[in-house]
Amino acid sequence: MTEPLPVPASSTGGAGTGDLAIRTERLTKQFRSGQVAVDGIDLHVPRGAVYGFLGPNGSGKTTTIRMLLGLVRPTSGHAELLGGRMPEAGLDVLPRVGALVEGPAFHPYLTGRANLARLDASDATANPRTSRRRSDEALERVGLSAAASKPYRQYSLGMKQRLGLAAALLRPRELLVLDEPTNGLDPQGTREVRHLVRELADGGSTVLVSSHLLAEIEQVCSHIGIMGRGRLLLQGDRGELTARGAARVLVQTSSDHVAAVAEVLAALGMAEVSVEGTTVTALLDDTPPEKVSAAIVHAGVDLLGLEVRRPNLEQIFVELTGEGFDVAR
Amino acid sequence: MSLVDLPEAPSTRGALGRLARSELRLVFGRRRNIVLLIGLALVPLVLGLVLFLTQDSALGGQGPGFIGNVTGNGLFLVVAALFICLPFLLPLTIGIASGDSVAGEASAGTLRYLLVVPVSRTRLLGVKALGALLFAGAAVLSIAVVGLVAGAVFFGLRDITLLSGTTVPLLDGVVRVAGIVAYVGLSMTGLVAVGLFFSTLTEVPVGAMAATVVVAIVSGVLDQLPALHVIAPALLTHHWLGFAEFLRLEPDWGVLGQGLTLQAAWVAIFGALAWSRFTTADVSS
Amino acid sequence: MVVAVAVGIGFAAPPLLATAGSDGLPTITPEQLAEQVAAAEQQPLSGTVVYTARLGLPELPFSKVTGANPVSLLGGSSTMRVWTDGAERSRAALLGDVSEYSVVQDGPQAWTYSSTDNAVVHYTLDDADTARYDDLAAKAEAGDLPVEGDLPTPAEAARQAVTMAKAFSTVTLDAQTEVAGRDAYQLVVTPTSQTTLIGRIVVAVDAATSTPLRLQVWSRADAQTPALELGFTDVTFGTPADSVLSFSTPPGASTKDVVVALPEHDATTATVPGALPEGVTVSGLGWDSVVQVAGVDVAGLLAGDPAAASALPGADRQFDSKGAQQLYDQFAPEKDAGSPLGTLDTSALYDQLTTAVPEGRLLSSALLSVLVTDDGRVLVGAVPGETLQALAR
Repeated sequence: MTEPLPVPASSTGGAGTGDLAIRTERLTKQFRSGQVAVDGIDLHVPRGAVYGFLGPNGSGKTTTIRMLLGLVRPTSGHAELLGGRMPEAGLDVLPRVGALVEGPAFHPYLTGRANLARLDASDATANPRTSRRRSDEALERVGLSAAASKPYRQYSLGMKQRLGLAAALLRPRELLVLDEPTNGLDPQGTREVRHLVRELADGGSTVLVSSHLLAEIEQVCSHIGIMGRGRLLLQGDRGELTARGAARVLVQTSSDHVAAVAEVLAALGMAEVSVEGTTVTALLDDTPPEKVSAAIVHAGVDLLGLEVRRPNLEQIFVELTGEGFDVAR
Repeated sequence: MSLVDLPEAPSTRGALGRLARSELRLVFGRRRNIVLLIGLALVPLVLGLVLFLTQDSALGGQGPGFIGNVTGNGLFLVVAALFICLPFLLPLTIGIASGDSVAGEASAGTLRYLLVVPVSRTRLLGVKALGALLFAGAAVLSIAVVGLVAGAVFFGLRDITLLSGTTVPLLDGVVRVAGIVAYVGLSMTGLVAVGLFFSTLTEVPVGAMAATVVVAIVSGVLDQLPALHVIAPALLTHHWLGFAEFLRLEPDWGVLGQGLTLQAAWVAIFGALAWSRFTTADVSS
Repeated sequence: MVVAVAVGIGFAAPPLLATAGSDGLPTITPEQLAEQVAAAEQQPLSGTVVYTARLGLPELPFSKVTGANPVSLLGGSSTMRVWTDGAERSRAALLGDVSEYSVVQDGPQAWTYSSTDNAVVHYTLDDADTARYDDLAAKAEAGDLPVEGDLPTPAEAARQAVTMAKAFSTVTLDAQTEVAGRDAYQLVVTPTSQTTLIGRIVVAVDAATSTPLRLQVWSRADAQTPALELGFTDVTFGTPADSVLSFSTPPGASTKDVVVALPEHDATTATVPGALPEGVTVSGLGWDSVVQVAGVDVAGLLAGDPAAASALPGADRQFDSKGAQQLYDQFAPEKDAGSPLGTLDTSALYDQLTTAVPEGRLLSSALLSVLVTDDGRVLVGAVPGETLQALAR
């Protein structure tokens, strides 16, 4: 059912399944139309992680999140959230989970605060006596205090998004599932969300944050999973993943020594040696960069500069799928 | 931020009440619903006004059946207004409220947030049903209360003449009219269940509303076709006019019981359908 | 007029049959059953009577919108509530959706009340007839009613009736049944004639009180459901409340007083309901009888001309059975009150119910055919339309 993933699932830093906040096994959703939205994914989100759930629009992220939250029943496979199997364990588990699913949605004719009050009133395990205080705190936290008494329909897209975050933060959560939290936010708002995510993680919460804009959240993530066409193409510790990318070495030399450098690199067994002006590049592979510099110096060639360039996630994705990140559909 | 403070309120006692109150605030606080109630309340007011202004003219005493009696006794304004609203306006109002109950939340996207709060789907459906039922009750009551007040102001209240020509004391008449209001209210429960079911089928509230209203109207039409008399007793609207028993000399409780049993059957069937649909459906809106 | 005929036939039948057949116990003969019914006292009771007609007539879709109106008896189903003290006070109410047509009889006077029109019609006897009525009532209490004086004993009357019925029919007892939750015996009258439309007539009689509870008339064409059914769906034996049996005109209702004549009792017609008025001839025997009425102004009747109605032979029809008279009075056209069809377009109704034939216009129903010829004759019989057409030629 699954094709071998480029990176095995065990790459989550050796964490046992007991330490996973989210675990899915061959999770699959085929819609009645026949379309396979999610195709046998094994998602592993360790506790305490900030998991960047990435992929272009239409790659199956939202359907996966809906299955995680018990909104959609898997066609096959299963999902566990905080150790409980979904959707059956939803009533036990979901009070510890804050979620923003496919954009905010509230009653347009109610104020922001009234909308939060309605959600809190629906929570059988929430304490009604602290409801008002918790609402205000959540609004404060997302910077909506001033607009709390305005009807939702008057909110800008960014304010709506903030109210959605406030709803997820009505109570302390073990896990936050944030689907496209930066959607509609300006750069300043996006920075605030990143800050919020980091703050939540520092508080001990696990955060799964999805985005189709990789660059926006890449930097806050400890872990990454990349979806494409319903499959989980790649997942793991961010440092490990990027380290695994095919790094290239770039050697700056004088124009007289270009050929010599190329020879040295080739002698080291490196592939794809190419010359561009005074720069010689080659695939680094497992060769330690210091060995390269030593070999060049040893050969008596000018070494004006040496850079190891690792691909970013977007380039990895393009490598994996042969498609651009934002257009794959 | 501390991680876990669960459960803040270890007992869920009162949690259902809290959810129900929230739902009722939502239903009765919504401007559209208030407008619907006001619209229904206008029916007895306008009817009373028209009858009041025309009672001494050539048009006086005209109109089907007991509507002509209204000028003689304001109590009949309640009955006449209910009778006028029964074929269309009440089903329309109730279809809108019950068809919107789940589909409206689905369409707005708020349903998914309620479910991940989490709210048990069974409990949410129950609360939605409660909201729709109480709204239906409020719709009937708004007609009745305004009808009673307008009838008393325009025509006065006095001893009431039954359909059989017998006149009974005012107090007896008030009790009978109260019975009519209660029966009409309970007669709407089946339609509420139908609306609730349709509401679980779609994310398009207007579709669920329209389908619900159509069921009531088609049922009323089919009930008129002699060729379908075999299925007529099972039709949703078949016993709606059974409220007339309260205006007969000796109300036949069997007839009223049949009407209420029929509604209970529709509630049971469509309630079960709504439940089985809603508790298993994928929420993808 | 068509309505009057159909209704008249429908309601003339039960008392006739109640005499012809009767209640019985499993071990006794139809004659003995008839005797029991004839001897049984009329019971005080209240109940619900449902009347269902499947006459095979074109649908009359307007019957529901006109409120409680006797015209609805022509097709479909109607519900009536009846109360009687078993003597001279009774109330019958034809139920509409949110309307009622009530007939209340209290001794020598009667009222009808239509909730749709909020109209009361008060029927009284003139002074002489009132005196005669009181006299009759007193004699009845003493068991000395002149009409019964001229009759044989109930047992003999019953035997006569069954003998008469047997001349043209087979009279049998069917399996015991249950009507309105009460055990009942069924008497079946099956015409021996093969040419009548009527297949059989079944009367269910309460085992305990000998009260007829249900009448079914089956057509020869349909063996599944009776063409005409009139029966209790609910019955309680016991004297109804006084408030039910009395009537006082409600305030605001329009009232009209009608003085009616008390019929002379004629013992010789006891076994034949109504003597033949002038202009009426009967041909054929038993079930194949065809009644022919000459000189009927059909157009005038359809136009609602009261003169045409009162000129109708038998318009003052009187039954020798009090029950039949009540029912007939209830549903027959009220004198001076216009047509019972009210504001309906009677011409359209007439056209809808009848079909054109060479002789005129023919109404065919499951039990009865009516032929209105172009020269003003009306032929009625429980026979196929072709038989009437042949007779009219």
